[in-house]
Amino acid sequence: MTVTDGTADISKETLQAWKDGSVKVFEEVVRSAMRRAYAVAVGIVGNAEDARDLSQEAFMAAHRARATFDVERPFFPWFYRILRNRCLNFLRKRAGRREVSIDVLIEKPGRSESPDKGVMRKERAEALWQAIQELTPVHREIVILRSFQELSYREIAETLGISEGTVMSRLYYARKSLYGKLKDVCDDLYREGDDEP
Amino acid sequence: MRYLDGEMSAAERTAFEAHLASCGECRQSMNELGRVERLTGMMKIRDPQDDFWENYWKKLFRRLERKTAWLFIIAGAALIVLYALWKGVTDFGEITFVKVVAVIFAAGFVILLISVVRERVHRYRTDRYRDIER
Ligand SMILES: [Zn+2]
Repeated sequence: MTVTDGTADISKETLQAWKDGSVKVFEEVVRSAMRRAYAVAVGIVGNAEDARDLSQEAFMAAHRARATFDVERPFFPWFYRILRNRCLNFLRKRAGRREVSIDVLIEKPGRSESPDKGVMRKERAEALWQAIQELTPVHREIVILRSFQELSYREIAETLGISEGTVMSRLYYARKSLYGKLKDVCDDLYREGDDEP
Repeated sequence: MRYLDGEMSAAERTAFEAHLASCGECRQSMNELGRVERLTGMMKIRDPQDDFWENYWKKLFRRLERKTAWLFIIAGAALIVLYALWKGVTDFGEITFVKVVAVIFAAGFVILLISVVRERVHRYRTDRYRDIER
């Protein structure tokens, strides 16, 4: 099984050089992990600007804590723990007055485009995004990691330090709850049938 | 869940499909969750424009620089205050305006330092427990 951790391109040598304190190499590390860091953060906090700031802070914290990083292990899971802590703390402080960006979720390209359906698709993406943002942070996280980052159960379990059983039960409740919120959208989509092979 | 996410072996799939054929409850549940997955599978998180990413590192670097600068300033100020305190204790001499100002300044600085350290320690402690949170 390949590790789809998005940072497979950060070599051990690079990580070692970073640990030894090179800021130049730190830039390399940031550049190869920033897209992923941002995508996960925006999924959890729901707001593009906050996601950028929080992921930057997480990189700064990682840089400060680099001495504790083990170069034998992949970078992202280690970094992710720092990032997720920041995001969850942020949400705790912001409880109740959170700003959710729009236009974060879009439909994947490459599907048959019929212009008249464009608006409907946009609405669909927006509905899903809103519903995800209404989940609890922990359920939101599991949906992001599984459905958008496409991590396997094992990778999620290792990253979060939980069992695969817990991954499954969280996913189950998260999806169940999404279906509850999006019943109409999901059923419409189903009735509309396949416009893909 | 494992069925939906392609985490089952071929044998498991066959067995599970046989169960689905005979169990309405599971079939219904799989149906619903499958529809959710179909919807999420169509979407992705939008990747921001190139200039967002260009500025991303620049801004991060500036923040890092600024943090380092502050660290030096605080360290420098701490040394000055310590030196002044030591000077004041060992050889205060007569009370002058400048010395009074220095004592007030030093007192303020020490209080600030204690307060920051206390907050840091507190945050570190609570963060540690947050790490464990599942
Ligand atoms: Zn059943």
